Amino acid sequence: MTLSTSAIEKKATRLALIYLLISVLCALFGCIYEHFSHGVYSYHMIYAFAYPLVGGTLPALWAVVFGCKRPPAALPRLLYHCGIATFTVGSIITAVLEIYGTSSPLTTCYWAVAMLLTLSSVVLHLSPRRRS
Amino acid sequence: MERKLRIGGLLYALVLTLFTVYVLLDTFVIARVETQVPSTPQISTTPTNVPNEGPVISDEGPDTPKITDRTYRDRNISITLTEYREHDTDIYVAEIKIASADYLKTAFAKNAYGRNIKETTSDMAENNGAILAINGDYYGSRQKGYVLRNGILYRMDGDPKRQDLMIGKDGDFRIYSEANVSANMLSSFDAWQVFSFGPALLQEGQISVDKNAEVDQATTSNPRTAIAQVGELHYLMVVSDGRTDRSEGLSLYQLATFLQTLGASTAYNLDGGGSSTMWFNGNVINQPVNHGSEVSERKVSDIVYIGY
Repeated sequence: MTLSTSAIEKKATRLALIYLLISVLCALFGCIYEHFSHGVYSYHMIYAFAYPLVGGTLPALWAVVFGCKRPPAALPRLLYHCGIATFTVGSIITAVLEIYGTSSPLTTCYWAVAMLLTLSSVVLHLSPRRRS
Repeated sequence: MERKLRIGGLLYALVLTLFTVYVLLDTFVIARVETQVPSTPQISTTPTNVPNEGPVISDEGPDTPKITDRTYRDRNISITLTEYREHDTDIYVAEIKIASADYLKTAFAKNAYGRNIKETTSDMAENNGAILAINGDYYGSRQKGYVLRNGILYRMDGDPKRQDLMIGKDGDFRIYSEANVSANMLSSFDAWQVFSFGPALLQEGQISVDKNAEVDQATTSNPRTAIAQVGELHYLMVVSDGRTDRSEGLSLYQLATFLQTLGASTAYNLDGGGSSTMWFNGNVINQPVNHGSEVSERKVSDIVYIGY
């Protein structure tokens, strides 16, 4: 299935707005959490909003403004969204533990899985597509 | 295809949510006992280079202690509680003189070493027959940092960022960095108790924190718990309130300055915030805050106490 340029723009705009909303929610959550954390801060909480903003809103806006000659296929798109979600959740959970004054070796799983998902989506997107 | 991928996305969201719930449960809830501590002290835990019965502090024997709401006196232990008000904060100081380092003890929640094993300072104090107790370093909230209690080494994984307090079997305080001292070296130091929290507040009578020093990534004044040595077998246990309308809390520097004015030579910061609790003879002395600014005791991993 090939999408028209206007359909791609419409989808990208929608995606940019969704990621922007997630960024705003993350920033809001971070502000509230930091407010009640008795002056204990964590950069992972402060900058958790950056993952959906930089990883989601900005690329989608780029596609809207400059166009997208080769939109990603469904599977790389899914892997990419899962990767960004994992980065964001991992950042917030790491921050919650840091602010409490503890840590867990399990938080490294978030970063490893997020990297794996994002990289594999990029590799899939860049690899030559089979013609059906 | 699109539908299958949508289902895949939902499944991944579910997996991510379940994993996150597990991480939180594993960190905060699921208890893991690694070592059950014997209820009666083993022979190896008894300090060897100090006499069990030291100099007589007062005329009373251990069986007939003289107790008031602010003092305790018997043959081996003397405790006096005093309340101060500094920097808009209530500070509770227990001055302790003991005949032997034997009486400066620690206990784990539920008498077990492990992760997420917690009890209130009061419960631990009562279960161990303490006379006076304060919260310890909350070792259970961290993966690393030496844990050596009553002469037994429980955790050998060091945290190079930590500055430790070691109480020797002679009762003297020593400060060291875990970056410079291995766990194996602790036995050669005749360590009786080791706390891995910090930082050190006073060393050789001099303030060893700067005005902006804080615990990890904290930025504001808080409730505090500290332990200090004044002289031979002469100590201070200090707890200050905070996070309440009445008490603003202390910075580490303010706490260090306060302890210096009391004549302490070595002082060390223990776990503070909601953990800060002082218990004496059946009562919580300070106003511990938990869940924000609610006055209630937090469950912690360990206590430092004076008792038999």
